Amino acid sequence: MGVRDDQKAATRERVLEAARDLFNEVGYEETTIRAIAERAGVSVGSVFTTFASKAEVLSHVMNHRLAELYGEFDRVVPYLRGTVADRLCSIFAIHYEFETRRTKLFLAHIAASYNPNNDPGVTPFGENRRLSQMLLDVLEDGVRKGEIRGDLDLDLIADTLKAAYAWNYRISAAAGGTTPASEMSAVMDKQIGLIAEGWKPR
Amino acid sequence: MSFVSVNIESATDSPVKLTRRALAKQRTRERVLAAARQLFSERGYEGATIRDIAQAAGMSTGAVFASFADKSELFEEILTADYEVIYAQMVQAARNAKTIDEALLGLFAIGYGFHVEQLPLLRASIAVSWTRSEAAERRARADIKHIFRLIADALQRGIDQGQLKADIDGKLLAEMTWDVYVANYRRAVYDGWSVEALLARLSDQLKVIFAGARA
Repeated sequence: MGVRDDQKAATRERVLEAARDLFNEVGYEETTIRAIAERAGVSVGSVFTTFASKAEVLSHVMNHRLAELYGEFDRVVPYLRGTVADRLCSIFAIHYEFETRRTKLFLAHIAASYNPNNDPGVTPFGENRRLSQMLLDVLEDGVRKGEIRGDLDLDLIADTLKAAYAWNYRISAAAGGTTPASEMSAVMDKQIGLIAEGWKPR
Repeated sequence: MSFVSVNIESATDSPVKLTRRALAKQRTRERVLAAARQLFSERGYEGATIRDIAQAAGMSTGAVFASFADKSELFEEILTADYEVIYAQMVQAARNAKTIDEALLGLFAIGYGFHVEQLPLLRASIAVSWTRSEAAERRARADIKHIFRLIADALQRGIDQGQLKADIDGKLLAEMTWDVYVANYRRAVYDGWSVEALLARLSDQLKVIFAGARA
C-alpha cells in the first residue's frame, strides 16, 4: 500500500469514528457532514470523496461495529453452555449489552433504515445474516441433541426470534434510549422461553 | 381500501351548519394535510419542512401555523386519522372471527392491507417512532393500546373456547405477535412482499409463537 492509500485509510477511520460519536451524542438527523469533517480534522471534500452520503457513512459505521461485535462472539460462542434456550438467551444478551453501549447510535440506524428517502446503500434493520446463522447453528444442535423436534422449520423459528429481539429495542426507544441491557434481555429470555415451550418433543 | 380520514368524514356528516369562515378554515386544514401526507411520503419526516408543505399547499407558512402548532402535530394528525380508519375495520374483523388464528390474522390483514398501499408514509412513521420525544411516544402508545385490547380480547376468547391453555401469559403473547407483525414490514419495504406474502409469513410465525400455548 502506498503513502496515498495509507492516508486514505487513515482518513476513512477518522471519519467513521467521528461520525459514530456524533450520531450517538447529538443524533443522526442533527449531525451534518460538515460537523463530521470538523470532528475528524479533515476537509468536507475529503469526506465526500470517501463516502457518497451521510447515510452511507452510517451504514459503514454500523458494519464496522458489527465486525467488532462478531470478533467478540467468535471467542465466546464455543464456551456457551446449557440448553438451547440458555444459549440463545446468552447470544441475545451479548447483543443487547453491545448495542446499549451506544444506544442512540443504534436507534438512529434503525430509524434511518426505514426513512422513505434513504439511499439504496442503507442496511435494512433486521437483516443480520451473521445473527441468523448463529441462531440456526444453535437450533440445529438442539435438534441433534433431541431438545427440539425434528419436524420444525428452524429458519422460521430463527426469524421469529430475530423479530422479537429487534423490536425489543422499542422498550429503549420509548424510554429515550436509557433502558439498561439487562431489562431488554429479561424480556427476551421470557420470549425465548415461550417459543421453547412449543418446540419440545411431545 | 378507503383512505378517507375519519375526521373529514364526520365533519361532512355533521348536521351543524358551518359558517363560511369555519368552512374556509376546514378547507385550509384539509389542503395542508393532503400536501403534508404527500411530502412526508416522498421525503420522510425530517426531510419535509413546514415551508415545503406550505408551498405545496399553495399558502404561506403563517397560514399553516394558524392550523397546526408544529410539524409533529401535523404528522400525528395524519397518522391518527389513518389509525381510526384501521381500528374501526380491525374491530369488525375481530368480531367476525371464529378462532384465535382467524381473529389475529384478520386484525393484521387490515393493517397490512392499509399500509402496504402507502408504504412510504408507513416508513416515515416507523422511522420517527425510534427517535421521537417522550410526549409523542405517549400519544402513540395510547393509539396502539386499543389494538392490544383487541388482541387481548381475542386471546381471552381463545381460552374461553378451549383453544388456548388457561394459564398462558397473554401479555407476552400479544407483544410477540405485535413484534412479528411490525418486523415483517421490512419484507414489504426492502423485498417488495405483497399483503398475501406478509400474511402467510405471519400465519407461520404465529404457529411458532403459539405452539406451546395451545390447549
